[in-house]
Amino acid sequence: MIMNNDNFLQNLTNICGSQNISQDPKDLKEYSKDLSFIKGKSPLCIVWPSKSQDVAKIVKLANNLNFYVIPVSLNSIFKQHGNSIPKKENSIILNLSRMNKILSINRKNRVVMVEPGVTFEQLVPILKKEGLKLLLPLKPTASRSVLATALEREPITIPRYHWDSSDPLLCTEVVFGTGDLFRTGTAAGPGTIKQQQKMGQAQVNPMGPTQFSPFRVIQGAQGSLGVVTWATLKLELLPSTQKVYHLHSDNIQDLLDLQYELLKYRLCDELFILNNTNLACLLKENQQEIPQLVGNLEKWNLIFIISGRGPLTNDKISYLEGEIDEIRTELGLNFSEPTVEVPNKKILKFLNEPCEKPWRMRLKGAFEDIFFLTSFEKIQKFISFMETQIEKDLGVYIQPINQGTSYHIEFDLHYDPEDINEVNAIKEKSMGIRAQLMDLGAFFSRPYGLWAKDVFSHHSLEIVDALKKVKQIFDPNNVLNPGVLCFDD
Amino acid sequence: MDEEEYQKMIKRCLRCSICKWIPQIQIKSQKYASGCPAIDIYNFHPYSGGGKIILALAYEMGRIKPTEELRDIVYKCTVCGNCAVACKYMNTLEPLEIIMKLREKLVNTGCGPMPQQQAYIEAVKKVNNPYNEPHEKRMDWIPDDIILNPDAKMLYFVGCTSSYRRKEMAIAAARIMNAAGVSFNIFQNDEFCCGSPILRIGDTTAFEEILNKNLDIIESKGIETVVFSCAGCYDTFKVDYPLSRKYDFKVKHTVELFDELIESGQLKLTDNVPITVTYHDPCHLGRNAERYEDWDGDVVQLLPLVSINVPPKPKRTGSKGIYDAPRSILKKIPGLKFVEMERIREYAYCCGAGAGVKSAFPEMAIKTAKIRIEEAEDSGADFLVSACPFCSTNLQDGITDKNSKLKYFDISELILMALGLEGEKLKQATAEVA
Amino acid sequence: MLEKETLKQFEAIVGSDNVNDGEIITNVYAYNWCMEIFNFMDGKEPTPFSDTPKAVILPSNTEEVQKIVKLCNKYNIKFKAQSTGLGPWNQPSTENSIIVDLRRMNNIIKIDEKNLYAVIEPYVSGAQLQAEIMKYGLNCHMPGAGPQVSPLASATSMNGPGFTSPSTGHSARNVLAVEWILPTGDILRLGSLGLTKNSDWYNGDGPGPSLRGIMRGWAGAKSGIGIFTKVAVKLFPYPCSTKFNVTGNSPNYNFDVPDFMRLYIIDCRSYKYLENVFLRVEEEEISFICSHLSGFATMAIFANSIDNLMDKSSIGIMKVPIVILIAARTKREFDYKQKVMKMLLEELKLTNIIGTKYIPESIFYAEALRSNLGLHGFITTGGFQSTKGGCDTAAMCLRSTEINIQLKKKYIKKGVIANDFGEGTWMSSYESGHFFHMESPTMFDQTNKNSVEGMAEYMEKSNELDLLKHLGAPFFVEGDKNHDLFGPYMMNYHNWLRKVKEAFDPNNIADSGFYISPNNNELKKRGK
Repeated sequence: MIMNNDNFLQNLTNICGSQNISQDPKDLKEYSKDLSFIKGKSPLCIVWPSKSQDVAKIVKLANNLNFYVIPVSLNSIFKQHGNSIPKKENSIILNLSRMNKILSINRKNRVVMVEPGVTFEQLVPILKKEGLKLLLPLKPTASRSVLATALEREPITIPRYHWDSSDPLLCTEVVFGTGDLFRTGTAAGPGTIKQQQKMGQAQVNPMGPTQFSPFRVIQGAQGSLGVVTWATLKLELLPSTQKVYHLHSDNIQDLLDLQYELLKYRLCDELFILNNTNLACLLKENQQEIPQLVGNLEKWNLIFIISGRGPLTNDKISYLEGEIDEIRTELGLNFSEPTVEVPNKKILKFLNEPCEKPWRMRLKGAFEDIFFLTSFEKIQKFISFMETQIEKDLGVYIQPINQGTSYHIEFDLHYDPEDINEVNAIKEKSMGIRAQLMDLGAFFSRPYGLWAKDVFSHHSLEIVDALKKVKQIFDPNNVLNPGVLCFDD
Repeated sequence: MDEEEYQKMIKRCLRCSICKWIPQIQIKSQKYASGCPAIDIYNFHPYSGGGKIILALAYEMGRIKPTEELRDIVYKCTVCGNCAVACKYMNTLEPLEIIMKLREKLVNTGCGPMPQQQAYIEAVKKVNNPYNEPHEKRMDWIPDDIILNPDAKMLYFVGCTSSYRRKEMAIAAARIMNAAGVSFNIFQNDEFCCGSPILRIGDTTAFEEILNKNLDIIESKGIETVVFSCAGCYDTFKVDYPLSRKYDFKVKHTVELFDELIESGQLKLTDNVPITVTYHDPCHLGRNAERYEDWDGDVVQLLPLVSINVPPKPKRTGSKGIYDAPRSILKKIPGLKFVEMERIREYAYCCGAGAGVKSAFPEMAIKTAKIRIEEAEDSGADFLVSACPFCSTNLQDGITDKNSKLKYFDISELILMALGLEGEKLKQATAEVA
Repeated sequence: MLEKETLKQFEAIVGSDNVNDGEIITNVYAYNWCMEIFNFMDGKEPTPFSDTPKAVILPSNTEEVQKIVKLCNKYNIKFKAQSTGLGPWNQPSTENSIIVDLRRMNNIIKIDEKNLYAVIEPYVSGAQLQAEIMKYGLNCHMPGAGPQVSPLASATSMNGPGFTSPSTGHSARNVLAVEWILPTGDILRLGSLGLTKNSDWYNGDGPGPSLRGIMRGWAGAKSGIGIFTKVAVKLFPYPCSTKFNVTGNSPNYNFDVPDFMRLYIIDCRSYKYLENVFLRVEEEEISFICSHLSGFATMAIFANSIDNLMDKSSIGIMKVPIVILIAARTKREFDYKQKVMKMLLEELKLTNIIGTKYIPESIFYAEALRSNLGLHGFITTGGFQSTKGGCDTAAMCLRSTEINIQLKKKYIKKGVIANDFGEGTWMSSYESGHFFHMESPTMFDQTNKNSVEGMAEYMEKSNELDLLKHLGAPFFVEGDKNHDLFGPYMMNYHNWLRKVKEAFDPNNIADSGFYISPNNNELKKRGK
């Protein structure tokens, strides 16, 4: 319980200025919920800091005055998974959306430095002008924070560029739960960022400083260990030519076998598998048009892109085509002809551009996404299981990650948010399904909200114990986003 | 190795562990990557070549004393030389020579050798062989029909092990030379131990005496070529004797001689020997049988800390051992299929018997042999072949201990079969394979 | 030596043959390469011997390791784990320490072809792993120290650069799941391995935060945070045909060079231009190896002794060479890559000397594929160690190289390190040029007291220079002294790292000599 409400507000005002604080009930209500089923507490206020030092001061204040800080990176209504909803009373929303500068773009070293408020719709076109490409998740929402997405370890669509689970996140500036400012990777120094850059550095090595890599514990922590105030992100060069491959089959194994070879030999860029439902959602914005397209598409769709750039673009495309043809021949795979042509332009559009609102909402207005990691040989098992659980409106997205060493597998349960029965059914079913998936060996590496507790109960006690130790180091008073992960159990 | 060089070199081990493996670019599988039997069996780092260099340094620095434990570690080593080959692929250290020098020092302090080894040194001194067998029975193996020429300029030096233990090898060698019409002699009373067992355990004083005795006799009889069927004797005469005393006669191993005879047509291999064999390179015929080349150059300091040898100093890397001759023979035997093991030539895995290990640490010898037997089995061969009586004994002991289906022949026995002179043995061999 | 009763208890775990506390064995384990330098830095006699461990123990499986660690906690004896044991960071920092030699843990647990990883124990060497995975057309990242060392040690505990880093990355970034014995004796299984049902090796991060961040950073903890008993490491496509036929005799072997390999050695003439070349080449994503070495060092990678180093002057006279090796599985791929290189050479106005001024022996290609090139650093003086080790951009690495030249020349002038004109550097690209590291291999004579002391001094000055000039943290910022020196200039990371140590090693049992010690006050609080 905060002893003195006025004191608390005054302190915040001194840090951020009153124009950057809101206690408007309408605003507060918005932050107590999101697209998930979680209903949270109403925050005390929303604060929009404009610089790192303010963030540090606020967090220090939280430690002193016993309130909680929930970092949020955007103003968007499309927040998901419940990780930024206050679970406890006496919480404030630390909205970082006004820290929205693109601090630097470094073409030479293929890196960008962004604040948390920088969105996809802001960054993608600017990078494009520089001939650079952000490593995107599958059609991100335009208003989402680029940095927050990287912090969530959301899978990117180009697995050959996914050298480590942590990519594309590189260095960070972070305020730990103690209120201490820190920089990770080579950004830690020696020297200030300016001094480092004067000596040619660009904060591209995420490892360290020295014998630990705190960025890895910040990532995936849902803001419960530190608040990131800027980060560098890996970029790639924009291709000048992209060729789309869209292969269909009723038999997903053929597609899995092919994508394995393509990725093993690093032959393509974007590479993933979608079922007809999810592909239709990506292709059509109009809700009415989606079901018909679903009916016309083959059940399983492998999409991959080969690309080239510069004077030898055609040579590269030609060599890649040759390699791919040879693999297809060796595998003896036949793929059906499409019953409806999906224009390559449309596929490239959904790959290269963010969307206004989450594409997963297009079918029925809402969705519950069940996603986890698994290995190549278990994919079919999980699909079969899910198909026994959900009869219709099930979207599937399979994304090889980390250069093909594992797979993000995602089941989107589409439902009508206006239909209370459907809502309740999905809510109940999804919890049960997740539990069963865990029993089958699904690795929920990103445990959110209601199902996080289940996830940790399926992991060894030593892991939970170790994570709690980490929490004790970086946020001993548990001021940052309490109630997420396993820290409050 | 002289004392000055020893004192310098023992300070230079990089502890890189290269000595534990065969040369890195020769590794073809996880299973057969290792090159050092001692550390494979005992696991502690001191058992490796590099580990023994550190032992030598620690000993010189007075950090360790000459104890039984030190002695045991130093003598649990067949001085196979793999460490030297592996190290010298890139570096210039001489792990094998350091080990030998360390043994010499232990013997001089009375700490070494092992009691069992001391026993056979005494036997050599007493009856001219390490088996403590009567000297007068040394040539009992010679069949009556073997033709010897007392005036021949070629001497067949049989060696103790073939004379007393592996008589089939001596008989085979003699018969082959007879079949080729080669004129040769055997010193019936004047053949004595070559000294290898004594040298390998570090008693260089006793070795010096033996060496001189043997050279005196051979030189006095005007011998021009000495042929050996024992790899140990061959290596000792070829490599170790000249370090103390030069001589003018040539030395050859029987595989070299027989290969020449086959090539020239003096030996005609006519009979089919339809078996699959693999060949084990004896350490003393292979990597260790490379002569030291005289070098009279200078060490020139190019820059501070950087010196070169002018002219370049020859480096014994095992490359000049006898590898091709036995293979050439095997490939010429009609009907015989030859397959290689993974570890061959200068990076062959030791049989486990050498340098007194067989007598002092029989368990180590057998364990090592079994490792090698398994490798032979994995090659797909039915028969294991080599050209050394010591390897023969230990590998056959290993085959028995392991209950392996592998059979063993000396290469000379296969030649006899191909000459049509060992019909029974051939029949039996092919029946077993069938 | 251990107390009799303590020894008995260790023997009960591993058997009496696998633990030894005698003078002979423990003294050998006290020796290591470059120990003389670190001794001198600590104000001790520059001998190659560290403190002698109380004992050396050889466990054969995870359970034994766990029991050993628990016993160490019980008797307050520190432990230092090692695989092949190359380097002073394997040494105990106190006589109250035992060495846990992981030699008997040498299994390849799993090669998962479809998920492109292998699970290995500590004493599987890089060459052993590569030989087995080649059978599947796969390759691994080989530590720069060579194929005779442990990829597990490189991934979990050591550093991680390698010659093939453009295509195989950095050891730390190739780690998937890990089995880790904490200093308390608890077993931590990271990522998907931590599942209580149907655990697997394919991922090492989560759930939630990734404990890989505690396990190591740019450098590993050198046994200071526990013992790693298994690791899953990423695998990569083998770059060309897997036919690997070496004939002839050591050391002048012949190698059947696979089809579709080509070497380029190009003089970039200046460091500034080298940066352009590096970045431009790596953007095209075609190289298997892409490294800068000084002219002298480039000569060394083609030589196997100092004697045959001298006939490679056509390389030695190059001012700023870059070594690029391309390799391909198919002719199509090879034709494309060659075309790219041709285009780049024309664009950058550079010339490849291979095939004209110099033709390497075939064995070079075998060594490149097996990543055996690092050992060539020893041929000049028999000893070397690297200073520096910063990792970020090419520009920073080259700035570091240039700034180092004057400092290094000072020590060359004193005659305490070998003369490489100050330019001795190894710089490699990572992940197609996304980042670069450089280090300055420096040749010294470990048997020469002046040379050892001079090298030590040069190393310390080099560290200071990195600090002063903001050139990133060098490799050997390890141990309390260096952490306390660098920490205040690097966000006081050392305080956080100390907290990690205190949390995960409450009894201070994992030897911290090359990691960080807990805070003394914290220790006192715990009665330690």
